[in-house]
Amino acid sequence: MSAQLEIRGLSVVYRDAGEERELLQDISLDLQRGEILGLVGESGSGKSLLCRTVIGLMPSRSLTMTAGTVTLDGVAIHDTDMAGLRGRRIGMIFQNPTSHLDPVMTIGKQIAEGLRHHKRLSAVAAKAEAIGLLRQVGFPDPGRAYGSYAHEFSGGMRQRAMIAVALACDPEILIADEPTTALDVTIQAQILRLLIELRDRRGLSIILITHDLGVVAQSCDRIAVMRAGRIVEEGEKRALLADPRHPYTRQLIDSHPTMTHAGDEPAPHPHDRKPIFEIDDLRVHFPAGGGFLTPKREFQALKGVSLRVWPGETVGIVGESGSGKSTLARAILGLTRITSGQVSFEGHVLTRDPKATLKHLHHGAAMVFQDPFNALNPRLTIGETLAEVLRTQGETPAAEIETRIGELLDMVGLERSYATRRPRSMSGGQCQRAGIARALAVNPRVIIADECVAALDVTIQAQIVALFRDLIARTGLTLIFIAHDLAIVRTLCERVVVMHHGAIVEEGPSARIFARPEQAYTAALIAAVPDIDPDRPLNGGQTTLQQESAT
Amino acid sequence: MHRYRFILFRPLQFIPVLFGISIITFVLVRLIPGDPARILLGTRATPTAIAKIRAQYGLDDPMWMQYLYFLKNLAAGEMGKSTLYKIDVLRLIATRIEPTLALVVMGVVLALLIAVPFAALSARRQGGLADHGVRLVSTAGIGFPSFWLGAMLILLFSIRLDWLPVSGYGETPVDKLQHLILPGLTIALSLSAVLTRSLRAGMIAGLSSDVATAARARGMPENTVFWRHVVPNALVPTVNLLAVNIGWLIGGTVVVESVFAVPGLGQLMVRGIFSRDYMVVQGVALTFAVATVLINFAADIITVALDPRIKL
Amino acid sequence: MTAPALSRRAPRWRAFLRRRTMLVAGLAILASFVLLALLAPWVAPSDPIFQDTTAKLLPPSLAHPMGTDNFGRDVLARVIWGARIDLQIAVIGVVFPFLIGTGVGTVAGFFGGWVDALFMRIIDVVLAFPFLVLMLSIITILGPGLGSFYIAMALVGWVSYARLIRAQILVLKTQDFAVAAQSLGFSRARIMFRHLLPNALAGSLVFVMSDAVLVLLNGAAISYLGLGVQPPLAEWGVMVAEAQGFITQAWWITLFPGLAIVTLAFGFSLTGDALADLLGVHE
Repeated sequence: MSAQLEIRGLSVVYRDAGEERELLQDISLDLQRGEILGLVGESGSGKSLLCRTVIGLMPSRSLTMTAGTVTLDGVAIHDTDMAGLRGRRIGMIFQNPTSHLDPVMTIGKQIAEGLRHHKRLSAVAAKAEAIGLLRQVGFPDPGRAYGSYAHEFSGGMRQRAMIAVALACDPEILIADEPTTALDVTIQAQILRLLIELRDRRGLSIILITHDLGVVAQSCDRIAVMRAGRIVEEGEKRALLADPRHPYTRQLIDSHPTMTHAGDEPAPHPHDRKPIFEIDDLRVHFPAGGGFLTPKREFQALKGVSLRVWPGETVGIVGESGSGKSTLARAILGLTRITSGQVSFEGHVLTRDPKATLKHLHHGAAMVFQDPFNALNPRLTIGETLAEVLRTQGETPAAEIETRIGELLDMVGLERSYATRRPRSMSGGQCQRAGIARALAVNPRVIIADECVAALDVTIQAQIVALFRDLIARTGLTLIFIAHDLAIVRTLCERVVVMHHGAIVEEGPSARIFARPEQAYTAALIAAVPDIDPDRPLNGGQTTLQQESAT
Repeated sequence: MHRYRFILFRPLQFIPVLFGISIITFVLVRLIPGDPARILLGTRATPTAIAKIRAQYGLDDPMWMQYLYFLKNLAAGEMGKSTLYKIDVLRLIATRIEPTLALVVMGVVLALLIAVPFAALSARRQGGLADHGVRLVSTAGIGFPSFWLGAMLILLFSIRLDWLPVSGYGETPVDKLQHLILPGLTIALSLSAVLTRSLRAGMIAGLSSDVATAARARGMPENTVFWRHVVPNALVPTVNLLAVNIGWLIGGTVVVESVFAVPGLGQLMVRGIFSRDYMVVQGVALTFAVATVLINFAADIITVALDPRIKL
Repeated sequence: MTAPALSRRAPRWRAFLRRRTMLVAGLAILASFVLLALLAPWVAPSDPIFQDTTAKLLPPSLAHPMGTDNFGRDVLARVIWGARIDLQIAVIGVVFPFLIGTGVGTVAGFFGGWVDALFMRIIDVVLAFPFLVLMLSIITILGPGLGSFYIAMALVGWVSYARLIRAQILVLKTQDFAVAAQSLGFSRARIMFRHLLPNALAGSLVFVMSDAVLVLLNGAAISYLGLGVQPPLAEWGVMVAEAQGFITQAWWITLFPGLAIVTLAFGFSLTGDALADLLGVHE
């Protein structure tokens, strides 16, 4: 049996003003009918570009396909027939449904648009068909969804809407470009399950582009690993995961946060000293609209959180977006107004004596942020940024600042020459290291890291996590590590705090929480994490196609 | 349609702005050096008239009382008398609104008719010859002084070609329209330069946006992608830009009316300044300010209609 | 997205060159006007207010490249001398509003609260008036003249800078690097002047250029109306006003001063666009 989609010797070159680089090199790949092929790689590997090339939608005019053929059911396809094939035989969904759905056109019209164009349906027939599709992808009230706009739905529902748009004209192939990356983990599980169900029901073939080997392990039949514009390895899922040939594949698998390594599990810390942070019934409310003539409304970001953090401990705070975990971090550092409750840091009560406590916090606690580029002042060099902190702290004599900067860069594994560079000329991982160096410049007893690896590639993630582990071992630092990624927390933190809707749902030693979660929410959250082991199936979230209907 | 409920409540928010406007216009006239009574009545006023105006405006009372009198008079539609035309300022303004309003409407409509096609041409052939031409002309066009552009249009269309009247305003609607074409075009050309640049930028961003990519990925032809997805999204910021520029546009009518001797509010204001007819200057400034507030309100309504995401 | 990340790292020479040609062209135009203004006494073919009654309304010729006006004054000489006044209008008319507006915007954006609310209400009211109408009203009080124009500019022009800077500061305040500075215990002054303001100024630098165009046009328009620069001083707006009565006989008196305004404005616009590209600012 020949493959449904065959890519042979495909190369893409970037040309601009005499500069020329090959972004895709001699790529050959098959997609079998009804299979889900996972295309895995880190940013810059060319995985998205490959799929864009296949459907003839190059992201830039400086890119040209220089060699190779693409055949669909044995027929070679060219640029000219592409417009007819797109949407009709090959559908595509994207990472960010919010930006890919037209904000000023109803969702229904966007589905009907394709039906009217490709299938020449009447307006009435297209509407009926579109409503059917919306029901199929899990909208509880498809008639209403038809007339609604994208912004009226949550991220998960928007992604469902985009799937409905892509499937409108019944394509045989669906290309899904990081379809779950922007979603919470429980929603991710739902969308992946939806894709698998649609494949089973419609006989769809799917190319699933992702950076997460866990997603691939859970949903794909075959895996192709890309790096720097080449396919380095390809094979059946289980075989490839069990016995990776290429060193890069091995590195990717090793870096995956669900991989546990011997000695990783941190031992629980004795709670014999006074807590470094004591948080009691902390509430933070934000004003949310209202005001003139309309009743004032409030958003309760934190609804009575109590927590102790002991010196030398590594605490993970996990939760989905909107759970209040970042607000908690900012509140205990005195960066957000506290509505009620009490926070004390090393015995100083922030809510009672804010001035002294803040001064104490400035010298004893530091923060590391999510977006490494945004966290550093773009106009200052790394050296200037670090020197500013050292000078403000006032503990390093002026003559030794230079040496201290060198030491700090050493500690975070950056070459000393980076002192003269600005964030713009550095990679995300390097900026994050600089951000950690800035936190260390305070010489803090506690570091609060807010989603500090979320924006990084897995291999870089693994490096940063290793750096933290090393720093903790060497300096006895207390770490509060906030993340949505449970797998990372599991390997790094000895204690886990699970947050949901502004409250703590469950807390306890990592080993216990991950093995025997007591709360249903924690269990669902853990089960939704796509494990790299295909035999630990995806379990989180609710089954979504119960409102099944005949089509 | 609760998204449109702001139409009922928003006017209440105008109250502080309207107060501010009234304070500024009040203060403006009071700051003029000299006896306020003579400023209000002109230099050749009779003593009885001066005594009357002193009582009416409470000119011997403290400043805040005078302001209250001013508000009271304003509420009664009493804006004083023009010393030049010898009639009530409100009536005078009423007779001058029509040409100015016609000019503004004509300017906006013509500007959009010019800007949309040129921006579309430019954006869809980005980097091409047409694009460079449009960019050059629109960048230069921002710097065209309207008084000079008007003079050049007169030179070309009225003097050389003799197609259109040089200046003034007609009696019949057709006559009026003929008189308004050149001044309207003057305003439209300046405005269209700004609009073209903004629309072009919006369209170019739209053409490479995720929305366009997604539409192409479902096989929509390029024309559909452009007119049904790119243009509607680019129009929202353009309406806002128009609202922001409305003050500039109204200021433009002041100059253009002077160039073409159109008997509108702008010309009235300039004449008022020269003949020290301060009540007229005050009245016109007040009228323009209130009009600007109302036009911005209209722009808000249009924006809400164009973009379902916006809630006011 | 994978591909854009790759192409971003590539040096964009062509784009860079294109930007530079724009910047070079813009700066060249501005520089030549500055030179003309400085060297006017030596460059101009004759005195700008010298009236040659034997040479009235002469069309452009070798002796008078831009012709002469109804008083027999050389138009080229007047255009060159006009550069002095019109450049001065564009510079002074921008500098004071910029300084006041930046100050107010920074304070309002950084401190928020009632200070911010008060300034925002004032700005709302000022913006409710059409710009030129408010300018004319103020000039009515002060009396016509260039000095009145500058005072009116300073009173009215700051609002756009204040709004721009305030908006920038509000956005920058929530950026992680500003939160980081706060969490590290930096003083308010340090956060404001070292971290927020330098990043906010990039946007207003671009705005300065487009504002210079508006100020130039307004200054010329107010002079055209007879309320700014007074004759017989050579100023381009005044020249157009004086020429209007002769437009049927002598087009050149109107054309050339207008072209001078257009060219100078173009210089500012080009420089502004090039700066916007270089600094990555979007208006």
